[in-house]
Amino acid sequence: MARPKGGYNIGIAGKPSLRTVDLPVPSRLVLSLVSRCFRFSDIRVEEGARVSAGTVLAIDPVRFSAQLIAAYGGTVRLGRVADHIVIELIDGASPGRPSGSDGAAQAGARGGSMGAGVADGSPADVRNRLVALGAWQFITDARTGLPMDPAGTANDIIVSTIHLEPFVASAEALLDGRLDSFVRGLEQLHELTEGGTIHVAVADGAGFAKELAALVAQHSWCRLHTVTARYPLGHPLLVLRALGLGRGPERPVWAIGTAGVLAIEGALSSGAPCVERIIALGGPAVSEPIHLRAVVGYPIDEILRNRLCSDDVRVVNGGILTGSDVSPERSGLDVECEGLTVLGELRKRHMLAFAMPGLSRSSYGRTFVSGLCPGGPPESLNTTLAGELRACVSCGQCIDVCPVGILPSVIHKFLHADEIDEVERMRVDLCIECGLCSYVCPSKIELLSDMRDARRLIREEHEAQKKMELKAKLEEEKRVAAKEALAAEDGLAAREALAAEEEAGA
Amino acid sequence: MKLILTLLDKTRPLFQKGGRFTALKPIYDAADVFLFSPLARTSRAPHVRDPLDTKRYMSTVIIAVAPCLLAAVHFFGLRVLAMVLVSYAAGGAVEVLLAVFKKDEISEGFLVTGILFPLILPPGLPLWMVALGSAFGVLVGKELFGGTGRNLFNPALIGRVFLALSYPKAMSSGWIEPGQGLVGRLLEYATDAVTMATPLAAAKSGTWAALPDLFFGNVTGSVGETSALAVLMGGAFLLIIGIANWRTVAAMLGTFVIVTAGIYGGDPHAIIWHLLSGGLLFGAFFMATDPVSSPIMNSAKWVYGAIIGIATALIRNFTGYVEGVMFAILLGNIFAPVLDELFVTAHVRRLREEG
Repeated sequence: MARPKGGYNIGIAGKPSLRTVDLPVPSRLVLSLVSRCFRFSDIRVEEGARVSAGTVLAIDPVRFSAQLIAAYGGTVRLGRVADHIVIELIDGASPGRPSGSDGAAQAGARGGSMGAGVADGSPADVRNRLVALGAWQFITDARTGLPMDPAGTANDIIVSTIHLEPFVASAEALLDGRLDSFVRGLEQLHELTEGGTIHVAVADGAGFAKELAALVAQHSWCRLHTVTARYPLGHPLLVLRALGLGRGPERPVWAIGTAGVLAIEGALSSGAPCVERIIALGGPAVSEPIHLRAVVGYPIDEILRNRLCSDDVRVVNGGILTGSDVSPERSGLDVECEGLTVLGELRKRHMLAFAMPGLSRSSYGRTFVSGLCPGGPPESLNTTLAGELRACVSCGQCIDVCPVGILPSVIHKFLHADEIDEVERMRVDLCIECGLCSYVCPSKIELLSDMRDARRLIREEHEAQKKMELKAKLEEEKRVAAKEALAAEDGLAAREALAAEEEAGA
Repeated sequence: MKLILTLLDKTRPLFQKGGRFTALKPIYDAADVFLFSPLARTSRAPHVRDPLDTKRYMSTVIIAVAPCLLAAVHFFGLRVLAMVLVSYAAGGAVEVLLAVFKKDEISEGFLVTGILFPLILPPGLPLWMVALGSAFGVLVGKELFGGTGRNLFNPALIGRVFLALSYPKAMSSGWIEPGQGLVGRLLEYATDAVTMATPLAAAKSGTWAALPDLFFGNVTGSVGETSALAVLMGGAFLLIIGIANWRTVAAMLGTFVIVTAGIYGGDPHAIIWHLLSGGLLFGAFFMATDPVSSPIMNSAKWVYGAIIGIATALIRNFTGYVEGVMFAILLGNIFAPVLDELFVTAHVRRLREEG
């Protein structure tokens, strides 16, 4: 692979340790109907209904009928929290684990004891089973990042074990003691591809790399690739491009993360629905940053109880660069959750802060004293914007840090001048929305939002254009049909006239 | 500290919408966020931001010119400080008035322009000319283009060109003889000092200043440009902390050395002499590296620096001007948008090929 450009590891305090803690049974489940990729709009249960563990609560009709599955049995409450299904657990003492054998769902993360291989059925059957068990959701289209349609077969699969955004569940924590399950999951994935290659991206210096290499050495279809351990260089799309698989209209390339491989292995080996997640709980405002094993819908306020060192916090679903803030009282873990990051809210002002030497600041540039001797302790960053919104001074930091090589500051200027064609020419479509440009900007410009807006505008423009073309085509067809009909009518009239003349002549 | 904060909090309503001094809000805001880090929070992802802001970005340049300023006070007297104050006052007034008029925030860019401008003027220039040039530089060089970040040219150089064209006599005769010894003119105001020719002007008539004098700054010339040592110290600081782009500096000085070597047949004395004299080093480290008026792409900065370096050497040796840096950098500024267009287009084409 070529020397990677861009990327940056933010030195922020609160990195979760590898310890994984099991959470107790919650008092209720708060299941979000909306996550980053899914909209479970087709609700399959009624208010007050009693459901058992494993019941399908809702379906995403757009995304291959992806399912929202209840991890525990209880009474359904609709409309109590907007866009959520709440399940009050019937008996808090000992609600059944998800259907199947005891701890079957745990196998989703821990790896079952059953044999390897895609149990039975054709790859299509297996794919459908994965959808039904809620494990297919982990597979995305490597080119678009969107959930993959189970109807097709992949050429290649990119498995990225590099999760460096602060803070999402790390591969080290996920694979701790589960490397065998992971490899079994790779084998099952391989069978699903019908002979494709599996590319596993491993961070440079990852603790499990050697062991993993030994385990997959016998598989010619599995290739390990070492990637610089810098956010977001392990992003599937960047790995895809680095491998030269980025172009061409060939069969799709799938992308999947560490948790996904384990989930697929668990679902196929145990046959139990995949409702458990291992998430990271990190950030400067968490008293003991760790990993947690919890079910989908686990109420966030119950997760955070007694685990924070401040009351005045912002809870982010996902990492601090791309995640979205959530209200802990009204949310539970959504199906795509990889971590919760908790930041202290900014409430204090510091005198002449910009002029301080900065002995322990964590900055991309080298304008703080600590920047001259990198590798210092991580900083307790909070939600401060760390400055005011200013005009772009073309410092070039966003260009330096961009991992895909686009020019965020240039795109920003074109976007605000309403020059969408120029924005498109600047290849904003390559953006993977890692958020680093916004992070490093000294003028505090919301570049990530700009990139998203630009992509949306271009998409809308293309759609409008397509619609126009379609409309024009339909009109053209109508016109041709009308003309033909007219011609046919004319022909008929002429023939009739001819016949009449002949008749008269006769 | 708490007292000031309370005072700011108490007076805030006066400057908010509907308050008595709403029109002065930009001034209040500038003082407020200058004294205390703002309370602005992130509203969307990314939820944390890099601690570097524009104020710190700009103030690093002030730290970097500190050695030049100290050397200037040493050689040319306390008058230099008066020039800096006048420059800040006049240019700042324009900046503030326009901010109030446009109901916009006061940008920190002026912190840099305000201090760089007096450093490129003759030390004996009347103070009212300093004020006029500074105000003109800010108004025409920056604000007419749309304010910070949108100017095509370096505002300080626009101010200097304006003075050079409007008051050619004052601009070519304000060269004060540098103070001698350890104390220099540290204790003098220095208005009655003798004027003399700059080394570059003297060289045209065959008198070459000694290299150590050029290196330490014991010659006459523009306020902050004479001491190569001080410029190199500040320049090295800017390169180390990454605020000045090293490519621009390397390309400009590199091509200047090559062209000068060609002109003087590779004579090392002449090359080093030209390198140390005039505003070349100051221009290379502090003026040409202004990110706003430079091209954006790193690759384009090589060409940009080269244009300035070559133009400086040519102007110095083959035109009626003894100093060429100012015009060379403005020429580079003119080229910058074209270079951007060329290099950005090439860059996006490469992206397309990569997929």
